[in-house]
Amino acid sequence: MLIDSNAHLGPWPFTPVPDRSGPALAAHLAASGVRRALVSHFGAVFLPDPMPANRRLFAAVRATPGLLPVPILNPALPTWREQLAECRAAAPLRAVKLLPNYHHYSLRAGHLEDFMAALAAARLRLILNVRLEDERHKYFALRIKGVPVPQLAHFLRRFPAHHVLFTGIYKGEVEQLAPAHTNFSAEIAFCEVTNVLEIMLKKFPARRLLLGTCTPLLSTRGEVDKLRRAHIPARAKELIGSGNARRFFRL
Amino acid sequence: MRIIDVHTHPVFCNLGRTPAELRRVIAYGRRFDIVHMVVLGDVLVFGATPNAEQLRLINNDSARVARLFPDYFSAFVYLNPLLGERATLAEAERCAALPGFRGIKLEIANNAAHPCMRHVAKAARVCRLPVLQHSWSITNIGNGQHQSDPSTTALFARRNPDVTVIMAHLTGIGFRGVLEAKGLPNLYVDTSGGFPEEGLIEYAAEHLGADHVLYGSDLPIREHSVTIGRILGADLPAADRQRMLFGNTARLLQLNLP
Repeated sequence: MLIDSNAHLGPWPFTPVPDRSGPALAAHLAASGVRRALVSHFGAVFLPDPMPANRRLFAAVRATPGLLPVPILNPALPTWREQLAECRAAAPLRAVKLLPNYHHYSLRAGHLEDFMAALAAARLRLILNVRLEDERHKYFALRIKGVPVPQLAHFLRRFPAHHVLFTGIYKGEVEQLAPAHTNFSAEIAFCEVTNVLEIMLKKFPARRLLLGTCTPLLSTRGEVDKLRRAHIPARAKELIGSGNARRFFRL
Repeated sequence: MRIIDVHTHPVFCNLGRTPAELRRVIAYGRRFDIVHMVVLGDVLVFGATPNAEQLRLINNDSARVARLFPDYFSAFVYLNPLLGERATLAEAERCAALPGFRGIKLEIANNAAHPCMRHVAKAARVCRLPVLQHSWSITNIGNGQHQSDPSTTALFARRNPDVTVIMAHLTGIGFRGVLEAKGLPNLYVDTSGGFPEEGLIEYAAEHLGADHVLYGSDLPIREHSVTIGRILGADLPAADRQRMLFGNTARLLQLNLP
């Protein structure tokens, strides 16, 4: 059974990808062998207040047990405490997701101290999204770059007690962070080169890699096959495909 | 399912320099049912505009690969048309006379709208070879002097309707690139390069026809499981996926594979 740590519902404004219902997304993922997925809503990426999209997310996954909601929050907003409380009341949560580059704040920002303390108090994991798209192919007017590696490194140093999951991270960025930091895991949708997992496992432990497909922006089957057809030990496949997600998200 | 990969660089920087390394590439490809690869050369090893001697070195490497493993590798001759008609024709004819060469490869010496592209068209006609042009939307990456935006690759195909053109990198050309390529029967796209962005395979099949889409990986830059999986997972009839993965390239390059 595979667990996808990076899937989405909702419309994406720039490319004609499917805007699926909860059950339709679950069926689509199941066709590639994914039985559970951590799901966020694209509406929270661009709207000034993420909560309308988070509410749509909770409603969409309510009757679909395989989809686990991951609300997107913006700690730069003055209302993040009440929004976090509303999300926790809406559904059992394992994690919340941040998109600092889309929400226009730095990972060096002071307000993150209180936010991280609140996550720790609530026993919630943090997913930090580095990018949603290849920067070369964005809509021409959308000049948003991936979160810079120095910011990621600063964040890891600043919150050493937190173990963070980076989604949308490149293989090269994982390699830059790995020597100095052990308090992060990486989702693999944007990690690619020939024999990518075999190569990554030479320098990075399997227990810190998680399957993710970035559905619907990337091909679900292609991303799942990256793991399924990798030439790596069966134990590593199990960890990356589900074991690590089970442990990280306490599933 | 048998697969032909029309876009590979088995010789790349320090890789693929020995028969043992090439055997590893073959073993890797066979794991994914790839029965044949097209070698495009280590095209950037000397920068964007290699001179005649540098082209010969790159093409000699490709020739060596095709000679060592003729059942598994074909080669395309890499050209820099900025060197002029005589040099372009000479290198194309030299390589076309060698076993295993089945096409012409262009990278980023110039964009595909440049007047020097007439030398390439002439070489393609004389040697009866298709032309594979590196293409990428310049909307975000810029460098239109060197990069061939899909509009310029399509222009080259339009100017030379008797030449078969392969517009490389479906993800790089994007949805607009597919529309640029639409309606040109001599223009094909390959699926190599970039992440497996959802919907592009189906979009290309809808607008160009599944018979005008060729599977490519861009080995060793991309991962075969992903580049193949995006086609196997595309919402298309199985026959269309098979055409993209094997039949179209076999027909285009006249490959008689066992």
